[in-house]
Amino acid sequence: MKLKIDTITYSINSKLIVDGVSLGIEEGSFVGLIGPNGCGKSTLLKNIYRVYQPDSGAAYIDGRDTAQLSNRELAKEMSVMQQENQVEFDMTVFDMAMLGRYAHQKMFGNDMAREREIVRAALKEVGMEGYEERSFLSLSGGEKQRTLVARALVQQAPLIILDEPTNHLDIGYQYQIMSILKKQKLTVFSSIHDLNVASCYCDKIILMKAGRIVDVGTPEEMFVPEKIRLLFGVNTQVTRNSVTNRPNIVFIPSGE
Amino acid sequence: MKKEKTPLFPLQKSSQYLFFCLLMLAVLFVSFLLAIRLGSVDMDFDVIKKVLVNKLTGRTIYEDTWRASTELIIWTIRTPRILTAFVVGAGLTLCGILMQVLTKNSLADPYVLGISHGASAGAVSVIMYGWLSVLGGYGTMAGAFLGAVISIVLALRIATVRNKVTATQLVLAGIAVSALFGAVTNFMIYHTKTGSDKVKTASYWMMGSLSGASWEKLKYAAIAFAVCFVLIMLLTRQLDVLLLGDDVAATVGVDTGKLKIWIIVIATLLTGVIVSVSGTIGFVGLTFPHITRSIVGTKHRRLVPASMLVGGTFLVIADILSRVVVAPEELPIGVVSAFFGAPFFLYLIRKSNGKFGGGK
Repeated sequence: MKLKIDTITYSINSKLIVDGVSLGIEEGSFVGLIGPNGCGKSTLLKNIYRVYQPDSGAAYIDGRDTAQLSNRELAKEMSVMQQENQVEFDMTVFDMAMLGRYAHQKMFGNDMAREREIVRAALKEVGMEGYEERSFLSLSGGEKQRTLVARALVQQAPLIILDEPTNHLDIGYQYQIMSILKKQKLTVFSSIHDLNVASCYCDKIILMKAGRIVDVGTPEEMFVPEKIRLLFGVNTQVTRNSVTNRPNIVFIPSGE
Repeated sequence: MKKEKTPLFPLQKSSQYLFFCLLMLAVLFVSFLLAIRLGSVDMDFDVIKKVLVNKLTGRTIYEDTWRASTELIIWTIRTPRILTAFVVGAGLTLCGILMQVLTKNSLADPYVLGISHGASAGAVSVIMYGWLSVLGGYGTMAGAFLGAVISIVLALRIATVRNKVTATQLVLAGIAVSALFGAVTNFMIYHTKTGSDKVKTASYWMMGSLSGASWEKLKYAAIAFAVCFVLIMLLTRQLDVLLLGDDVAATVGVDTGKLKIWIIVIATLLTGVIVSVSGTIGFVGLTFPHITRSIVGTKHRRLVPASMLVGGTFLVIADILSRVVVAPEELPIGVVSAFFGAPFFLYLIRKSNGKFGGGK
C-alpha cells in the first residue's frame, strides 16, 4: 500500500467534516475522489498533506506515519497540486518550476547544471518548452496549471496528490493535465469534479458523502445511475464509451 | 497563443546583474563623497581625501595642513552620519523585504504596518522614564526592540484574516497600530514638562533624523545589520518558496513555522536597532524592494543584495538633501523620505486595488 489512511477524523468549529475515513491507495494506481461540494474531499486531502492536523487517525506513506516526517522528508515522498493560488510577486516560469526542487537542494554545493536540466525536462514534459523566461502571472489558466504540474514533477516524489487542481479549467485543459499525469510512473490521488474525466483516467474511484467514504471500486462498478443519484441527486444514463471502453455518463435533466 | 516576448525584468543575465551592482556601488561612492563635502560648511575634495586616507590607514600619509575643526566635521560628524544613513537605508529595505515575504503583500513595510511607531514609542519610553537603565547604552535599543515586538504581533493579528493578508487589511492594521503607538508617544511627551531636552529627543524620534549619529551608535547598528543580512542570505531559497503561500511552501518542503519565526525575529530586531539610531523614517522599506524587484526580479538571492545597495544609496542622497535644501538649517530625513515615499505608496495602493478589486 503506497498510501494508507487510518480513521482520520477532522472537525471545524466542532462540526465534523471528515468522519473516520480509512482507505488505501496501491502503488502505481490512479485514484479519483468523487463527491458533491462540501462533502469533505478537500478537507480530507488537506489532512493527508498536513495543511490540517487530524483530530484523530493518521496517514501512512509506505508504512511511515506522515506526522513523524519533516516537511522536507514528506516533500520527497509526496507532491501536492492545489488550485492555482494567487501570488502577488511575479517570477519566470522556469524559476516557478525550480521552486519544486527545494527539498532536494542543500544550502550550498548543489549541482545547478543538473538541477536546471531536471526543470527543463519537466517543462518539456508538460509542453511548456520555450516558455521558460515568460512571466508566470501573464500565462493563461491552463499554462499556469501545467507549470505547476512541472513544479510537482521536479519534486520527484512517487506519490502526487491533486486537490481539485483542474476545477476552473476548461475541459480541454482538464484532459491535457490528466493525460500528462497518467503518463508518469506515479501514484496519483486526485479529487475530480467531472465524472467523465474520472471515468477516463482512474483505476479506482472513491465515493465520498457527508464526510464518509460511501463506496470504493472500479469506474465500471461506481459509475452506475443509482450510486450517482445517491451522491449528487441527479439522474443519469451510463453507456460505454466505444473509444476508451470506459463508462460514459450522460446527465438527464429532472422531470424528463 | 504566444504573446509578446518582453522579459519579466530587464536584468536576467548574471553579468547584467553584476554590472548593476557595480554601478550602484559607484553611485554610492560618489554620493558618499558628495555627502561629506556638502552641508552647512562646504569641504574641499582634496582635504576630504587626505583626512580619510590618514584616518583609514592610521598614519600621517598627508601632512595635516587643515584645521582641527575640519577634521572633526569630516571624520567625527559627517562620516559616521553618512555610513549610518547607508545602514539605516539598507536595513529598512531589508525589513521591508521580510515583511513583504511574511505577508505576501508588496504594501508591507515596518513603517506602513506601524512597527516603526511601536519601536519609537519603546525608545521614547526608555528615554522619558529611564526604565531598562540596567542595560546602559543598550536601553534605548532594547526599548525599541520591545516596542517593535509588541507592534508586529498586533499588526499581523489585525492584518491577517483567514490566513491571508489583503491590501485593505494591511493598510487598516497600519493605521490602527501607528495611531495607537503615536498616541502613546504623544502622551509621554505631554506628560513630561514641555521644553525639556527629553521632549526634543522624543520629537526627533517621531520625525526621523540622523543628526544624532556617532561612531558608537553606528557600530551597533552596522553589526546588527551585517548579522541579519548574512542570516537572510542563507535563507533566500526558503524566502522564494514562501512567496507561494504558507501551505504550498510547506508541501514543497519548507519548515514554514520555523522560517516565519526567524523572519519575525530578524525583522523586529533590525527595526528596533534602526529606529533606535534614526527614529522613524518612512516608506524606505516599501519603495526600494519594489523598485529593485522590477529591475532584478523576485529571486531573493539577487533581490536582497541589490536592494540593500539601492535603499542604502537613496538614504545617503536623502541625507544630503536634508542638509542642503534649507541650509544652514537641517530637515529631518524622515521628511525627505516621505516626500518620495508617500506618492509611491499611493501608486502601489492604486495598482493593487486594480488587481484585487479593493483587496477583497
